[in-house]
Amino acid sequence: MSAPSGMIDPAIFEGLQTKVDEDTAVRDELKDIIQALEKQNRNISFVLSRAHSTPYADLPSVLKASEEHIQNAIETVSKLAHAASKQPYYKFNGMWSRQVQDALQGILFWAWLGGKDYNGNEAKCGRLLTLEELGEVLKVPTNLKDRDEFHITIEEYLIALTSLVEELTRLARNAVTLGDYERPLLINQFVKDVFAGFQILNLKNDILRRKSDGLKYRVKDVEDVVYDLSLRNLVPKKGVTIKEE
Amino acid sequence: MKEEKSDKPEQAASPFMAMFEGFRAELDEHHDRRERIIKASRDITAASKKIIFTLQRVRALGQSVPPFVVKGNAQYWEIIEKQYQHIAADVQGLNAFRYPQITGGNQEFMEALSFHHYLETQTLISYDDAKNRVASMSGSAGAVLLTPEDYILGIFDMVGELMRFSITAMATNGKLPAGKPRKEAKATHEDPEGEDADKMDVDEETSASTPAEKPRNVLSDLRALRLQLEIFEAGGGKFGADVRKKADVMRECVDKVEKALYQLTVRGTERPKGWVPDVREERRPEVESY
Repeated sequence: MSAPSGMIDPAIFEGLQTKVDEDTAVRDELKDIIQALEKQNRNISFVLSRAHSTPYADLPSVLKASEEHIQNAIETVSKLAHAASKQPYYKFNGMWSRQVQDALQGILFWAWLGGKDYNGNEAKCGRLLTLEELGEVLKVPTNLKDRDEFHITIEEYLIALTSLVEELTRLARNAVTLGDYERPLLINQFVKDVFAGFQILNLKNDILRRKSDGLKYRVKDVEDVVYDLSLRNLVPKKGVTIKEE
Repeated sequence: MKEEKSDKPEQAASPFMAMFEGFRAELDEHHDRRERIIKASRDITAASKKIIFTLQRVRALGQSVPPFVVKGNAQYWEIIEKQYQHIAADVQGLNAFRYPQITGGNQEFMEALSFHHYLETQTLISYDDAKNRVASMSGSAGAVLLTPEDYILGIFDMVGELMRFSITAMATNGKLPAGKPRKEAKATHEDPEGEDADKMDVDEETSASTPAEKPRNVLSDLRALRLQLEIFEAGGGKFGADVRKKADVMRECVDKVEKALYQLTVRGTERPKGWVPDVREERRPEVESY
């Protein structure tokens, strides 16, 4: 093992090899948890996608069916948080940020559909969970600054939010297909409000920027739906949330 | 900042505005930190390259670098120190691994530091020494972290500098730089260098008890480095990919020195003794640096 010269103290590379091997072991441990989360995210999205074909009144059945999968994801995120908090957060966060974003998006959609406040009656749509509320659901800290532990970052939340907008854009069209002319209006306002928020951010050239650049097209997509409805006098009279321009 | 809102009344109506304003403030801070680090990394890289450039004018091995190098490089060491101090506060605690943008500067600095260290001591600087060096340059705000990855990748690049150093020395002095013999081992000056280097591996393995007997030359050191770097397992990920890329270049560099030494050995005997090719050209930049 030792070099045939006094050039290199063999301990140097032995020490480095140990460090790199330790990191590899950490990665392997995290990888298993992250893969589990990925699977659970797929399950959440599979169940929640039924919202696109479920009439408003039947939404509770979708929410109920998703509960188990969301609970699984919450447990996995806790496991991830436990394992990851032993390491410097930003050393490995690239490994899971995609999967955490997907989990956030699933929970945001679930909450928007009324899952968070569901009390056995009608599901009430339109709620946006804040970053802090998401943290409470997932039982992990958010936007940490003073200590180096696992947490949900602002960027992850914002990226999940852009995915939520995409999902809702799709829902706006599909609601119309189901004969529901009210939710497109709700979605229209919601998407506009989110977009207005994104507009005040000074984004750099990164993934968040690319994601948020797509928002304006989603805003337009939903507006088109609302336009189609109003053109045909299908906009419900009581929901005068939309001001015609 | 608040004026922006009144421009667009539509925005003021959004119930999420307060939340986004909070995000904006934090993202701005984050981007500011990142930009400071990118700039520092670039400046450290540029200054390190200049240090290396000056170091390439050194001809002797195993002794303090000549005054013109110390003098010429002082300003660059200062720049690097200033840059590390400038960003030290940005990479503390939670943010220690947040800005990988510093790695470019760290690697280049590692290359300069290890090359300088090699020229003076003819040994490889240890990771801990290098890490502590960066930490001591970072000032009171806390250490800037030099990762094992930065160290390894910097050492890979240092092999290239040793190659340049060797080739230049062979071209100007007609021989491979070697350390100072502790005993008066004049033999190295008379023996063809090639034979020397070839024997080195075998010699020292068998008679490791007397390593000081014969001074090592740069090629034997390069081979030792190559050996260590090749058996190093970098694992997967970006670091693994970087290592594999740099390993190819590293092997080429060692090959180049071996080839040059071969040529020197084969053709060197045909030259008149003491014939030195074009030293003047090499001196010019030295004068400039004063």
